[in-house]
Amino acid sequence: MRKEETVKLISAEGFEFVIHKDAAMVSQTIRNMLTSPGSFAETEHGEVTFPEISTTILEKICKYFYWNLQYASGKQTDQLSPYMSMPSLLGGQVLFNIDCPGRCPRM
Amino acid sequence: MSAQKKRNFQIEAFKHRVVVDPKYAEKTWKILEHAIHEIYNHNASGLSFEELYRNAYNMVLHKFGEKLYSGLVTTMTYHLKEISKSIEAAQGELFLEELNRKWAEHNKALQMIRDILMYMDRTFIPSTHKTPVHELGLNLWRDVVIHSSKTQARLLDTLLELVHRERSGEVINRGLMRNIIKMLMDLGSSVYQDDFEKHFLEVSADFYRCESQEFIESCDCGNYLKKAERRLMEEMERVSHYLDARSEAKITNVVEKEMIESHMNRLVHMESSGLVNMLVDDKYDDLGRMYSLFRRVQNGLVIVRDVMTAYIRDTGKQLVTDPERLRDPVDFVQRLLDLKDKYDKVINLAFNNDKTFQNALNSSFEYFINLNARSPEFISLFVDDKLRKGLRGVSEEDVEVVLDKVMMLFRYLQEKDVFEKYYKQHLAKRLLSGKTVSDDAERSLIVKLKTECGYQFTSKLEGMFTDMKTSQDTMHGFYSAVGHQLGDSPTLAVQVLTTGSWPTQPSATCNLPAEIFWVCEKFKSYYLGTHTGRRLSWQTNMGTADLKTTFGKGQKHELNVSTYQMCVLMLFNNTDRLTYKEIEQATEIPASDLKRCLQSLACVKGKNVLRKEPMSKDIAEDDAFFFNDKFTSKFFKVKIGTVVAQRESEPENQETRQRVEEDRKPQIEAAIVRIMKSRRVLDHNNIVAEVTKQLQARFLPNPVVIKKRIESLIEREFLERDKTDRKLYRYLA
Repeated sequence: MRKEETVKLISAEGFEFVIHKDAAMVSQTIRNMLTSPGSFAETEHGEVTFPEISTTILEKICKYFYWNLQYASGKQTDQLSPYMSMPSLLGGQVLFNIDCPGRCPRM
Repeated sequence: MSAQKKRNFQIEAFKHRVVVDPKYAEKTWKILEHAIHEIYNHNASGLSFEELYRNAYNMVLHKFGEKLYSGLVTTMTYHLKEISKSIEAAQGELFLEELNRKWAEHNKALQMIRDILMYMDRTFIPSTHKTPVHELGLNLWRDVVIHSSKTQARLLDTLLELVHRERSGEVINRGLMRNIIKMLMDLGSSVYQDDFEKHFLEVSADFYRCESQEFIESCDCGNYLKKAERRLMEEMERVSHYLDARSEAKITNVVEKEMIESHMNRLVHMESSGLVNMLVDDKYDDLGRMYSLFRRVQNGLVIVRDVMTAYIRDTGKQLVTDPERLRDPVDFVQRLLDLKDKYDKVINLAFNNDKTFQNALNSSFEYFINLNARSPEFISLFVDDKLRKGLRGVSEEDVEVVLDKVMMLFRYLQEKDVFEKYYKQHLAKRLLSGKTVSDDAERSLIVKLKTECGYQFTSKLEGMFTDMKTSQDTMHGFYSAVGHQLGDSPTLAVQVLTTGSWPTQPSATCNLPAEIFWVCEKFKSYYLGTHTGRRLSWQTNMGTADLKTTFGKGQKHELNVSTYQMCVLMLFNNTDRLTYKEIEQATEIPASDLKRCLQSLACVKGKNVLRKEPMSKDIAEDDAFFFNDKFTSKFFKVKIGTVVAQRESEPENQETRQRVEEDRKPQIEAAIVRIMKSRRVLDHNNIVAEVTKQLQARFLPNPVVIKKRIESLIEREFLERDKTDRKLYRYLA
């Protein structure tokens, strides 16, 4: 995994998750962060800090990113979305602006 | 799927710390305002997107959306005012570049701001019906920068100036131009139209008005059209390079109007280079250009077509009424065909095979061909010439081409029945003299006539072919039945012609030589023996004969002559000298025919088997004839043609006319009866109209003749006049 293909997500407690950019860009917000024409600090350093999101939730979110990347492109799957088991995480949808599973992420 | 999910779960807002700090909103806004300043100052790398996004998100969430939005408007307006100042300060050429650069920067900044404020864009703005961030940015740019008092006029002038410079041949920065125009379009189509396009079209109209005036004074038609075409292409190219595609129709419209429409008449009629001259000189390129340009404007093609039609009618009229041309019918028709070919080619190459032009051409031909009453005769003579010799050794396809062309002329004829009359005569001559080049070609033409005019038109012509075929069989039968009785008497070939099918004249039989008469009698008894109830009469004026002749020095020749000539020559078997009177008495050939046949026997150089005294061109009643012992010829077979008038003489023509008129009478009557049978009651004008309609496939009946026929029908009690309204006719069953 080369460095320029990855992005580092940092939780409120300071835990770092290094994941693929492709996966992170499932979130429209992170996509904007990383592709916005002017270079914000996040684009420069390749890391995003979430001071309001706890490690457990951020981990779930990262899992969801990968699940979405793999299965959500319209393919049928038996596997349950990690998303569905945690209603409390739904707040993340608002902040991260993620489309519901089964649809391609909006631009 | 998303809808389903939303039904299954209750979405709760993310749990946030309750805002306690009363200055929370003010503080948060300060952070965002600072960020916007930094973005406009190209200094965003120190900003954290996540933090800004979260702040904007929280502000909206905690009902400070209104503050955020109005703050954004104020801050952006402030920056745009700064930008506007710097653009206004730019000098000369730099103005557009500065504008372009600032526009690009503004776009980028706007994009970043929108990304940060995405949450507001998605939730707060739709619910409060405010303008979305991106649109807001464009609107502010429009109002603050583009519509600033100093920039607005300057921008327009600069753009129009650049266009003008490009029109006069200079090279301008098209990329920059495209960007600026694109900017105007991005700001909304109304901005593009009001701030640029409207003025652009006005200025263009002025420009082309002047230029076309200048061109038309100095150029001939061809060159003017070239220039107009080039200008039109340039404008289209300009649109494709840096204007809105929707402007194309508008600007081309301006060019068309100024350069073509307002000078249309003058161009078409331009002396020594206008449409007529182009047609005369076959200038397909120029004509094509004229067509494609004039097609763009209303009524443009109508003018072209009208002038062309008038010209064709004029040339055609000259051609068909020129007495010189009437001498040679084949040449006459050939010229018509050449004329048609010429304009077919023009329409094909230059006028895009336009249907309306083809129709105009056809109607012109129809108009002038029928100006000459002898056209039907000449067309038939042309066919006759082609089928006698013109098509010898020509491939089948080429024959078809010629025949198709003839059919085309035939279609233009109004008096198709006259053509039929002549065609019948000429065909009969061809068949009886065995002169026809190809049976296939003959039949092919008949099929064409049939498809054109129906079965009735050709049934008699087909009957002629059938007669020829049956006659062959009859002759076979005759010789196998009675051949042994004939010994070495002359060989006879009889063609039995059905009365009615053939254009026979009331026969003036001549006295046949005894040996021939005997064979003929034999045939007569054979034929009447096999076919009861028929009557045979001999058409001696239509036959031919082959004579084996021995001349003074023993030279032998086979003479191919007509029946009349044969009768004359046979007289010289017994004597060397005969006077005209003696010949006339012995043969009883009608005087005019006899003169013609003696003329061809005695007066044609190289074929003069008779000598005449005195030597002269014409035959007089007191001439004497001698057998020409000294006759020589390179050929064994000598064909002695009768001096046939190729085209009819005036009296003959009158006669044919009269016969045609006679033939028309029953047809007109039949048409009247057909119409009245179905209509029962009809007034005079309607009858004339309907009869004309029914018969126009064959000829154009004269209303006076129709009136006479109606009167004759009333006399014979097919019709009666209405008791009260004298204009009405009633059908009497």
